[in-house]
Amino acid sequence: MVQITINGKQIEAPEGTTVLAAAKMAGIEIPTLCAHKELTPYGGCRLCIVEVQGFRVPIASCTLPVSPNMVINTETEALKKSRKFILSMLFSERNHFCPFCQVSGGDCELQNAAYHEEMTHWPMQPGWNGYPVDSSHPYFILDNNRCILCRRCVRACGEMAGNFTLAVAERGAASIIVADTNVPLGESTCIKCGSCVQVCPTGALIDRTSAYQGHDDAMTEIKSVCAGCSVGCGIKLIVRDNRIVRIEGDWEAATNHGSLCEHGRYHPMTESRTRLTAPLMKKNGQLLPVSWDEALGAVADKLKPLASDPQNGIAAIASTRLPVEVLATFRDLFAGSLKAQMATSTEEGMTTAATAALAEKTGTFEGRLDVLKTADTVLCIGANVARSHMVAGFLIKRALPKGMKLINIDPAESQLDELADIALKNAPGSDLALIEGLKAIILKENLGRTPLAIPNSEKVIAEAVQSSGIPLEKLTRAARLLAHAISPVILYGKGITAKRDEFLIQSLQALAILVGAVDKERLGFLSVKGEANSLAAAQLGLDAQFALHDQQAVFAALGDDTVSKSLASRLAQAPYLIVQASYESALTANADVILPVSTWAEQEGHFISLDGRIQKAEKALSAPDGIRDNAEVLGEIAMRMNMPVKTDWQKAIRERQSSVVLS
Amino acid sequence: MEKPKIASDWMCGCAGCHMSLLDMDERILQVAALADLRATPITDLKHPDASGVDVGVLEGGINNSASEEVALRMRARAKILVALGDCAVFGGVPAMRNFCGVEAALQRAYVEAESNEPGSQIPNDPELATMTKTRAIHEVVPVDYNVPGCPPDADVIFYVLAELAQGRKPELKDELLHWH
Repeated sequence: MVQITINGKQIEAPEGTTVLAAAKMAGIEIPTLCAHKELTPYGGCRLCIVEVQGFRVPIASCTLPVSPNMVINTETEALKKSRKFILSMLFSERNHFCPFCQVSGGDCELQNAAYHEEMTHWPMQPGWNGYPVDSSHPYFILDNNRCILCRRCVRACGEMAGNFTLAVAERGAASIIVADTNVPLGESTCIKCGSCVQVCPTGALIDRTSAYQGHDDAMTEIKSVCAGCSVGCGIKLIVRDNRIVRIEGDWEAATNHGSLCEHGRYHPMTESRTRLTAPLMKKNGQLLPVSWDEALGAVADKLKPLASDPQNGIAAIASTRLPVEVLATFRDLFAGSLKAQMATSTEEGMTTAATAALAEKTGTFEGRLDVLKTADTVLCIGANVARSHMVAGFLIKRALPKGMKLINIDPAESQLDELADIALKNAPGSDLALIEGLKAIILKENLGRTPLAIPNSEKVIAEAVQSSGIPLEKLTRAARLLAHAISPVILYGKGITAKRDEFLIQSLQALAILVGAVDKERLGFLSVKGEANSLAAAQLGLDAQFALHDQQAVFAALGDDTVSKSLASRLAQAPYLIVQASYESALTANADVILPVSTWAEQEGHFISLDGRIQKAEKALSAPDGIRDNAEVLGEIAMRMNMPVKTDWQKAIRERQSSVVLS
Repeated sequence: MEKPKIASDWMCGCAGCHMSLLDMDERILQVAALADLRATPITDLKHPDASGVDVGVLEGGINNSASEEVALRMRARAKILVALGDCAVFGGVPAMRNFCGVEAALQRAYVEAESNEPGSQIPNDPELATMTKTRAIHEVVPVDYNVPGCPPDADVIFYVLAELAQGRKPELKDELLHWH
C-alpha cells in the first residue's frame, strides 16, 4: 500500500493504482472524458489534470501511478481555470454546436463536463473546418465533426472486441477516426459489435435505431440476459413506451463486462418477421383465427388420447431460446405426463449430448469461460467462436496481441484461421486421429505433464498425418506449442460435439490433462455449446435427434426462435402439427393449430450459460393483447387434460449430472 | 430610486428567445414592476434610449452589417450586455453556414433550392445589408452575461432579468445552465 494525500485527505492506495483511481476510491471525483473503466488509460483529453507537489505543471491523473507520500490537489482555482481552458480548446476544434446533436441535453459527456465547469459559452470559437461523416454502416453513423479524439472507440474496438478495425488517421487537428486503411465502415473488417458506440462520450458515434428517440432520463433501463447464444452476456434493455430503443452491454456483468456482439446488440432491433397475434386453426385447409378457448381445447382433445399410445403418440420439440422454466414444464408435460417417445429441443443435442453423456460417467469435467482470461495458449477445435459465440471469441482475439497463442483446428471455414498461430485444416472426420496424433507426438517428445500410455505411438502419428492430411512438421509444431504452454485452454465446439461421440470428447480431455490444461487448480477445458439454453435443455434430457416414427401429432414450442430448414422439413411431415410461436414462419404455415406466445423480452425466466451460470432474464416489455406466456400456455394445456404439471426447475436441472458446475 | 432600464433587440436568430421570454407568463409583470422595459421587438420603442439603459439584451448572432450595427449600438448604450440564447452565445444554427461560406449558402438558398423559380438570382439590391460570417456576440463586442439555451427556459430568463434588475449578478449553474 502507498500513502498519499489528496485534497488534504490521507489515503492508502495499492501500488500501481493511478491517481484517478485512488481519488475515486477515496470518494473524490475528478472530471474525465477519455477515461473509461473497462479501457486502458490513455491520457488524451487532459481533463483529469491534478496538481502534484513538486511537479512543475499539472499532470493527467488517469495515467499517473501513485507513489509514496504524493501530495495531490484536484480542486485548486488554477486547475479549474485550466479545465475550462482544456474544454474551450476541445469545443473550438470541431462542430460541437449542441442544439441539433442527438446526445445534447444530458447524454453528452462533453456537454456535461462543460456544465460541471459552469461554462456559459466558448471563449474560443470553432475553426469551421468540416470533417468526414461515414454513414455506410448498417447500425451506426460516425460523424468526425463531433469527435474529440478521446480514442475510446479505438480502444474498445481493440481491447473489448479484439477486432482492431478502428484507428486514427492523419495528425494533429486533421486527425480522424477511420476503419482499417480508411475504407467506409460498412465495407470494413468491422464485426458490428457496437462497442465503439457504447463508449463514445459525444455524438460522434450514434446508433441508427435509438438516435433522436429521447434522452436516457426518459428511458427505463432493465438489466437482463442476452438470449442470443450460450455465453449469457449481461445486457441492459433501454425501453420507452413498451418498445426497446437500444440494447447495451452491462458493464457490471461478470461474463462480458459491457461487451456485446451483433447478435445481442443489433439483431433484436432489426426483427422483421410478422408477429402472430391470435390463435389460429386450420379449417378446410385454411388457417383461421379462433379463440384461445377453442385452440387450447382442440390441442388438449388431440393430445390426451395419444398419451396411451407411447409408441406412435406424440413427438414434441422445444426451442433452446426458451427460459428453463418453460423447458422444464415442457419436459414434464410431454416426456412425463404424455409419455411422448420423442421430446427434444430444436438443437437436438448437437452441441451438448456427447458432453452430457460423458459427464454422466465421469462427473463434472468442464471449466469456466473466465479461464480464457489467464490462458497463454488456446486450442480451439471445431469451435468457430469468432462467429458462433462472438463474445467468447473476444476473450481470445483481444489477448492475441498480448502474446496469447492460438491453435485452430477446424475442417470447416473459420474466422479464427487467419488469427491463429497455427491453423490445422484437417480432413473432415479425422478429428479423433488428429487428437490421438497430437498426444502421441507430445509423449514421444517427452513433453507431457502426466503419464499416458499410447502403444504404437509411431503408428498413431502416421495414422494422424495420413487421415488428417496435415504434414507431420505442422502437426509437431502444434503439439509443441500446446505442450510448452504454461496455462493452456482447450475449447471445443459443434464440430466435435455434433459427432455425438463421447469417446472423442474423452480423447480430447486426455489431451487437456496431458498438456496441463486440466489439473488440480485449473479446468481449462470446456465446450461452447449452442443457443442460450443449450445446457438447460441437455440437463432436462431434451437432446435427442428429432425423427418422426409414425407419431400422430407433433407439438413444437418455438417461442420466438427460427428453426433450421432441415428441422422444418422433418416437422412438416407431421400428420398433425401444433406450433407455439411468436412469429409467422414456414412452419406455422404448415401448422394445424398455432398458439401465439410472448417473445424473449416479454417474459421473465432463467438461462444457463455454457459454463453453468444460472442467470435471470427480466421481463422488459408487455406482450400485445391476445398473446400468452410460453409457460402459461403449456400449463393451460396440461390443466385441460387433467394432467397438471408442477415443475421445480431448479431440482429438475440437477437430476442429471452436468459437465460444468451449475451455480 | 429610478427603476433600472432594460432594452432588448434581435439579430440573426429566430425570435424564439423572445418567445421564451414571453413564456414567463404573468411573471413579466414582476419584471415590469422591478424594471422599466424600454425598446424591445415586442414594445413600440424601436431603439434603446440614446441616453443609455442599464441592461441590454440581444438575441441572435451577428451575420451582416445590419446586425453588427445593432450590436454596436446596444453595447454603446447598455451598461450591462446580455447575450440571450445559443445564437447570441455561440452563433447557433445560422453559424452552420460558416462551414460552407456565405457565397455557397446564398447560392443554395436563392438559386439551387428546389423551391426557387427557374432563373432565380441572389438578391443584389444595394440597400441590402452586407452578409458576413456568422459570429457569436462576444466575437464582436464584449458581453457581460452569456445566457445559453435554444431557447433559454423562461425560468432562466426570468432569473437573469430579476437578478440584474435588482442589481445582483446572476450565476448560471446546475439547473439553470443548459446550452439548448
